[in-house]
Formats: sequence, structure tokens, C-alpha cells
Amino acid sequence: MDGILGQKLEAYLRAKLPQVEQLSVSKLWRIPGGASRETWAFDALWQEGGKQTSHGFILRRDPDASVLETERDLEFRVMEAVWSQGVPVPKMHWLEQDGAWLDRPFFVMDRIDGCETSPQRLLMEPRYVRVQQAIARQFTQILARIHALDWKALGLDFLGVPPGPAGCAEMELAKWQAIVDREALEPQPVLRAAFAWLRRHPPRPAQGVVLVHADYRTGNFLVDEQGEIKGVLDWEMAHLGDPLEDIAWACIRPWRWAGDERVGGLMTRDEFYRAYSELTGLEIDDESLRFWEVLGNVKLAAIFLTGGRSFCEGRTASVMMALLGRNTGRLELEIMDLMEV
Amino acid sequence: MSAILPELQTQFAQDATQTMQMLLESLIGEWDAAAENLQADDRRLRELLASARGAILSARSPGERLESLAREIEDGLAVPAAGSLLVSALSEENRSLRALLELVLVACEEMGGESGPLGPVRSETYAHLREIAGRGWSFWDVMSFRERMARFRAG
Repeated sequence: MDGILGQKLEAYLRAKLPQVEQLSVSKLWRIPGGASRETWAFDALWQEGGKQTSHGFILRRDPDASVLETERDLEFRVMEAVWSQGVPVPKMHWLEQDGAWLDRPFFVMDRIDGCETSPQRLLMEPRYVRVQQAIARQFTQILARIHALDWKALGLDFLGVPPGPAGCAEMELAKWQAIVDREALEPQPVLRAAFAWLRRHPPRPAQGVVLVHADYRTGNFLVDEQGEIKGVLDWEMAHLGDPLEDIAWACIRPWRWAGDERVGGLMTRDEFYRAYSELTGLEIDDESLRFWEVLGNVKLAAIFLTGGRSFCEGRTASVMMALLGRNTGRLELEIMDLMEV
Repeated sequence: MSAILPELQTQFAQDATQTMQMLLESLIGEWDAAAENLQADDRRLRELLASARGAILSARSPGERLESLAREIEDGLAVPAAGSLLVSALSEENRSLRALLELVLVACEEMGGESGPLGPVRSETYAHLREIAGRGWSFWDVMSFRERMARFRAG
């Protein structure tokens, strides 16, 4: 057992799994990163029906403050729904909304072992470079599958249904503008001008209202050495909207880890667009995509400002939050490039 | 850092320490030239705001919104420049001037962009904001991942 958190986890699991005996928690360690929630990995061992079982879990616990104040139940419910449709995500187990068990709300899901998420390793280590085409192919296929889900049948309308295909863009614009209004500690001329520019350059109405992952990019999926994507992570910003929003987000410069123009370091834009269009029948319109790329960079800047404010107001001691809050300069440059100003 | 990292027991602690190092590097980079940069920025912001006011006043019929903006700019520029080289004083002046510039730029984008009444100051304003943004530090650069990728691709 590992410290107080481990003891509390054991007590929690005993309550959740009353039929098992000799339950213990081991190898509890905090996974670096995860600016929105604390992520812990652990093993649970127990006896059931005379048989010894070992199971790997992930605990996602609310932090003292976050880069975004998102609802953990949203992420839990969306992941549960997409898992039921065969989208590769970890199986969800338990959601706790109050802090009685582990001091803060949290959820527990399966751990997917033997996989990698780090863009650095995925793009540089020969074992992953060898299977890069397979990763790129699946990256597109899984996104197409997410966008094809029947969100109504899955009960995902709790995410908020946009007022028709033409309303998707305004709904996201209003959401992120409100976040900048609330979180910015200093004047933000570039971001404010970008909001005005975005309203002057609206995209075409969405070709359909779909489940948007909203953080779909290299770095947010688990892949094995055979190049199979085993889990898509970080669903906390998921919402209903325009599928091009996910396409644009995957393309924005901060995720072009290879330092060239390739989407997520994996494939060219043409390859990505063609494969996605073949799978979905949707058209990738350059001007609409530009709108969503500008908004994507604005959104990332808004996320960073939120982290910075949390640090400055003493709601978190995380230096990552402070660092993020100081990182909007490159995003502003990219926004101005995209606006062609 | 190379002496501390091996002593840290967990990957999380190592990661947090490296983040702290990046934060300190970014602060050192900014503070070394802070007073000089802020003074130059504040001077340039005053010039840009004066140009924006001039563009409004020379417009044939600017309308209520722009006339009100011109008055706000006038009031803002009437506040004397920071009388010292203290970073706090220069930052305070910078914040006030940037808040005015924000209003100018939003009006500019909402009222026709380059072809609107504030078009003449639009490109100058963005050029200045580009200079400021380019000065900013980025952890993507410090991690040098993209450099390593370039070397990797070159074999």
C-alpha cells in the first residue's frame, strides 16, 4: 500500500467490490502532466471465488484548481457512452461526485498497459516511427467513427444541443469569449480582436451536428508498438458541434510536434483531409477550417489564461499552471498569421 | 538541475522540477529587459493610440461609438507617463494603454477591418503586437523537441 491516498483507495474499492476478499492497492504513482486533473495509476489485487485477481486502474481526481473548470461527470458519461459503441477508450468504472472518499471528486477507469502517449516518443522512437502510417490511418478512422455516433440515441444531448448547424460556431465563440472575459488577468488585444474577426468570418453551417471530442490530437491517445490506437483520452471538453472543429484542432500548430506542417507530426493535411472525407463524405472547406483554426488557437490561449489565473489567485500551487499562463505569445502570433494581419 | 533530478524519487517530482526550471528561465528572460521593453512599449502604444484618435477625428462622420472611443483615448493619453523605471509603475501604465488598444482593435475589426475607418492604424497596431508576442517565451521552444525532430529527420 502506498501512503494515505492508497489507504483511502483501498477503503473505497472494498466498498465498491464487497464480494471480493483480501483487497489491496499497490504501485500507486502519479502520472506527470494532466493539467486538468490529477492522474494516478495503481494496481488492485483481490481474491474472488478462490482466485487471485490483479487489475490495473487509473484514478482521475479533480485538482485543487484546473486549466479548465470542467465537469468530471461529463467526461465520465461521454467516455462510457463511446466505449459502448466500440470507440477505443478505457472502460469506466466508478464516478464519485463528492470528496468524502478521496478529498475531491474523482473517477476510476481501466488502465491500458503497454502503450505510449508521448508525442516525443511516438515521433522519434524507431519502434513507433515504423508504424506511423498505421497510427495516422487509425487516427483518422477513429475520428470519423466518433463523428458518426448517434449522440441522441446515446443520450448525449445533455452536452447541449446547438441551435442547428449554423449555430455551432456562435455557440463555441460565445463559450470561449466568456472564458477569456472571466479568466484574463490583463488586457488581451489580440484575443479580443480575434473574436471580432471570427464573427466577421463565420464558417459555413456545419454539415451535421456531431459529437466533437474537442481535444483530438497527437498526445491524447494511447498506441501500442504495433501501431494500434488502444485508447482516446481527455474527453472533458467534448460537446456537440461542427465536425470541422475537431479537424482544425488536430491541425493547429501547437500539435504539429514534428516542427513541420504535418498534422500532429503524423501526416500531411492533404492525406488527413482526403482520408477523412472518404470515410465521412464530408467536405473540408478551407475558409471554414481557417475559422476553426483561429478559434482553436484562441481556445488554447484561453485554457492557458485559466491556468495562469488559478496560480495567481492561489487556488493551485502547480508551477505548470504558472508556466501555461505565460505561454500565449506564440499562440497570438499564430492567430495573427491565420487572420493574415 | 542535473544534481537535483537524480535525487527526486518519482517521475512526477522530476517533471514538476523541470517545469519549475522552465518557469524560472522564462522569468529571467523577461525580467532582464523588462524596464527597457516596457518603456519602449508604452511609448509606442501612446503613438498608436494617438494615430487611432487622429484617424477617428479625420473621418467624415465617425459616429457615436468612435467619437466616444476618441474621447476615451484622449483621457487615457492625458495621464502622464510613468515617472520612474520601476517595473511595477511601467507595467501599470502598460496595462492601461493596452486596455485602450484593445478597444481600438476590437472597434477596428468590428467596423470593417482594413477597409473601415480605423484601417489606417490596423496594420501598424498588429505589427507592434507581433513584436511583443514574438518576444514571449514558449515552453515548446525550450523543450527543443522540434529542433531534435529536425535533426532526427536529417538523419
